[in-house]
Amino acid sequence: MIQTDKVLDAIGMACPMPIVRTKKAMNELQPGQVIEVQATDKGSLADLKAWAKSSGNQYLGTFEEGDVLKHYLRKADQSEAKEEVSFPHTLTNAELQEQLGRDDVVVLDVREPAEYAFGHIEGAVSIPLGELENRTQELDIDKEVFVICRTGNRSDFAAKQLVEKGFGRVKNAVEGMTQWDGSTEQSKA
Amino acid sequence: MAGKTAIIASNGTQFDAYKVYNIATAAAASDHEVAIFFTFEGLNLINKEAYGQLALPEGKEAVAEGFKKGNVPAIPELVEMAQELGVKFIGCQMTMDLFGLEKEAFVDGIDVGGAVTFLEFAKDADVTLTF
Repeated sequence: MIQTDKVLDAIGMACPMPIVRTKKAMNELQPGQVIEVQATDKGSLADLKAWAKSSGNQYLGTFEEGDVLKHYLRKADQSEAKEEVSFPHTLTNAELQEQLGRDDVVVLDVREPAEYAFGHIEGAVSIPLGELENRTQELDIDKEVFVICRTGNRSDFAAKQLVEKGFGRVKNAVEGMTQWDGSTEQSKA
Repeated sequence: MAGKTAIIASNGTQFDAYKVYNIATAAAASDHEVAIFFTFEGLNLINKEAYGQLALPEGKEAVAEGFKKGNVPAIPELVEMAQELGVKFIGCQMTMDLFGLEKEAFVDGIDVGGAVTFLEFAKDADVTLTF
């Protein structure tokens, strides 16, 4: 099961109810939070994708479990598009790709679990930004840490947090997963 | 607002009601500004006496079973939802007069206007539909 901020039960509902309910549930979420929408309406897959596109929210992906479709969406976060990154040590995706073979590095993916589930760099460690504060001990402090998120903003915050916690070698992969063209892997439902 | 959808509802069976309200609620849920102009038999769709028991088109009565099975919401439920999402209802004054109906015969919260009221809304709409 993927951890989300809210689960919406739209099982058994016909069009347009899954969309209407999703819209209402999204209003109650904070920017950047993730919702799981459970639906049996087969049209909900295409509809939610289209809805996310027109409403500016992020469609992450869908798992099928029997008759139930589990859709994952992330509420748009305006600050992500605008904020300047300020952590001084950065690397491009091409540079990151070159470093992946080394055994003294770790890729830290600070996106939400549902974002991670639908496509991440192989071997990347998943710790969402909001939990990093309490989970840094899961990382090997002697390794060089490359932090990545979707667009380079959350990873900017995360990189600063890691340095405050005593990590010596930290870099922000500023281009983020949106520009990652290397291989990725998916988690299982 | 992400867009604007203008709908004319001019027919009065249950099928027509679903066509109108499904599109209207979906558009409103997608952040469209939505207005429906109810005219001629389309007025049934907001008539307090009629909208809960709209007839199916002739020969299609068997579909009632399908609606039940598919867990399709009842029309009054869709109307309430549409209004909650901010869909604007405009009753056509001319046809109301024609049928001898007052504003009180219809669900609460409707505006009453003529063709120009609707045209004013529809002139810069992104989506315009007639049912």
